[in-house]
Amino acid sequence: MSDSDAAARPYPDIWARESATPTVEKYHGAIRALVAERFAASGKTWEQAVEDGSLEPTREDFEKIEAALLAEGYKFDVSATISLKEEPDKYKPLAGIANTGENESDEQGRPIVGHGDNVFKAPADVTGTARYISDVDRVMEMLTGGVPENTVAIIDDSGGTLTAPILGDFKAVVCMGGTVRSHLGILTREYNVPCLMNATLDGLADGDEVTVEYSKPAADAYADAESASGHRARIIKIS
Amino acid sequence: MPIKRSYVDVLDVNTYIQKLADSFYFQCTTRTVQESKLFPVNPYIALSYYNAWYRYPELVRKIDAAMPAEEIADRARQVGSYVNTITMDVATQFYLGGHQWLLDMGILKPTDAVEDMMDVLDFTRRLNLAYHRSEAHIMPSDGNHKDQIHTARQTEAFEDAAIGVTSGDKLHTAFTRFMAAVSAYGFLSHCECRLSFCNHGPYKTKDGNEMLVRDALDLSECDYPWMDGVAGEIEHNNLTITVTMKDTHFNMVDDWGSFEAEPSYNNDNLVSLGVYASDFLSDGYIPVHMDSASELADYLDDQRAKMESATATMWKMMAGWSREQMIDAGLLVYYGTLKDVAHFAGVYEQDDWMLVDERTQRFKPLMNDEYGNSAIAELVGLITLTSQNRSPHRMARYSGERSEMWTPIPYSVLADDEWTAGVGPIEAGSTSLPAKTAKWTTTQGKLTQDECNAAAKAFHSKAFDLRHYDDDVWAKNHPDAPQAAELAAATSNSGS
Repeated sequence: MSDSDAAARPYPDIWARESATPTVEKYHGAIRALVAERFAASGKTWEQAVEDGSLEPTREDFEKIEAALLAEGYKFDVSATISLKEEPDKYKPLAGIANTGENESDEQGRPIVGHGDNVFKAPADVTGTARYISDVDRVMEMLTGGVPENTVAIIDDSGGTLTAPILGDFKAVVCMGGTVRSHLGILTREYNVPCLMNATLDGLADGDEVTVEYSKPAADAYADAESASGHRARIIKIS
Repeated sequence: MPIKRSYVDVLDVNTYIQKLADSFYFQCTTRTVQESKLFPVNPYIALSYYNAWYRYPELVRKIDAAMPAEEIADRARQVGSYVNTITMDVATQFYLGGHQWLLDMGILKPTDAVEDMMDVLDFTRRLNLAYHRSEAHIMPSDGNHKDQIHTARQTEAFEDAAIGVTSGDKLHTAFTRFMAAVSAYGFLSHCECRLSFCNHGPYKTKDGNEMLVRDALDLSECDYPWMDGVAGEIEHNNLTITVTMKDTHFNMVDDWGSFEAEPSYNNDNLVSLGVYASDFLSDGYIPVHMDSASELADYLDDQRAKMESATATMWKMMAGWSREQMIDAGLLVYYGTLKDVAHFAGVYEQDDWMLVDERTQRFKPLMNDEYGNSAIAELVGLITLTSQNRSPHRMARYSGERSEMWTPIPYSVLADDEWTAGVGPIEAGSTSLPAKTAKWTTTQGKLTQDECNAAAKAFHSKAFDLRHYDDDVWAKNHPDAPQAAELAAATSNSGS
């Protein structure tokens, strides 16, 4: 830590190091500086100041800390679609699926548009229509109108709640996050819906016909990245 | 003035804090990051830690005064309830998470809130000691990830009552469909959290197979206000499902009640099962439609259909929530991990467990998705918060790094160091969610809050009264003792 950082602390910490992420470092650093300033101005012992609450930051303090970061032009990464919907100016837009145009081909010359970790070994590979499902509106549409037949759901959410009411109606699932131990992995296994987790995709578009290698052995959750990569199932675009 | 605790008291609590840190690190780094496109998961998890920090001290003192932690756990390990392996582990972790963040922000020193820390840690440690009494561990990771909380009396009853199935028969089919539906329903009702499920075991059966005891919890109208009405058709709040598997070894039942099997869990290997209801008002496990395979299959089909309908209705409701409502619901699920302890003690109050303390509310402006994700990742996975760094010579148990997840209590509080006692009484709370209006679903019927508490205080469990004989070591040498017969009768009563 620099001397200036140490001076912005309410009490010494000789083994402190910077936090690993920018928002934690910014926020906690600002709060430490605020508490240090209030403590110095209080004229109280630390224990008196803690007990009477005079060091406690308020909601307004926290609002100012976030506002200061946003004023620098910072945009936050988004996780839940509701966050982007309610405060679009605060967040970066969601990234789409990559399309480098540099796909490898399978034994029949068809483009390989992705790889993933198989949750369980299915009796056979699955062919179906890739349908991208990433927000509440798409799920609501399928919940009220029905899931189209032969849907291979392309989901960028390893949680189990976004697609909870329609999960059992998918022919198969490809998830662009998580691991085979994620909630979505657990649920697809219970529903016996073939599923790839931790998928990387390149050049897959909504509506593409794909064959996915769900008959490959289940991925080993404890395998290191190098050995796991050799066992990943392929997603092959057939039309 | 030194704290009025013994050196051994502080040694015990600090050792427990480090055990919790090691357990949580293993669990968090061998799981994936929790995420959801529907719920802002990490922001609500982060806020729940603050709510635990500000509210648990007063609440555990209130509960402990009504019924000591070890007695609550003795009751709880004889039923399937929200007082279980995962909740009793993570509740303390959440509390310590709030502590660590406040240290990291410089709002507290390690010598602050020392009486609170001692009381909360002592309470949950006693809970875990008694709950895990049969295996004499504090948590499953102490026993190489086995969680055998039941005595032979109970596991024999489970095995004897189990109904045989073969892959594809009526009950097997109904069961596999039911388990899928209840899993999706539980994740949704708990806002993406796994707390609706907890597994115990494994236990070896007489024919050499392995049995797992699986709890599905808070399924009906219960403490969560958002389940009022939508869960009204679900008959039982807690279901315990025993599954016996052939050719399957459960090689891990961990500190969060999750299991792994070798080869992977496959319903085709299911050979028998049982279904039971229970809660803080039941004398053990009550069989559910287990008179015949066909009757149980019909019941599971009926409840599956109702859960699927409830899942769709609840999803539509939640999809219409504001971000703040989603955050409040999720944080109350996490914070509420100790709520059933209050039910057992007969001192449950909705305002204690389903409100967000105003001291927690003030942190909401910080909780954008990125900060929530980063704060959780640094706290429990990366272990990179400024305050988590120890001496450059330190090497942590799993990572070998110099940082540790939780900060213990400095021993200087036993000498002449200054310290503060705690966060004080619970302050006002609020929530953006509608208030609860429905009654609670219990094994004694639909009850109001006051009726739940009165029933809990009046309740006497036969097995609890004989708990100091309900011990495999004692049972091994006293087959003809009257207490053994009374315990057997208590088991068969709950099993009839």
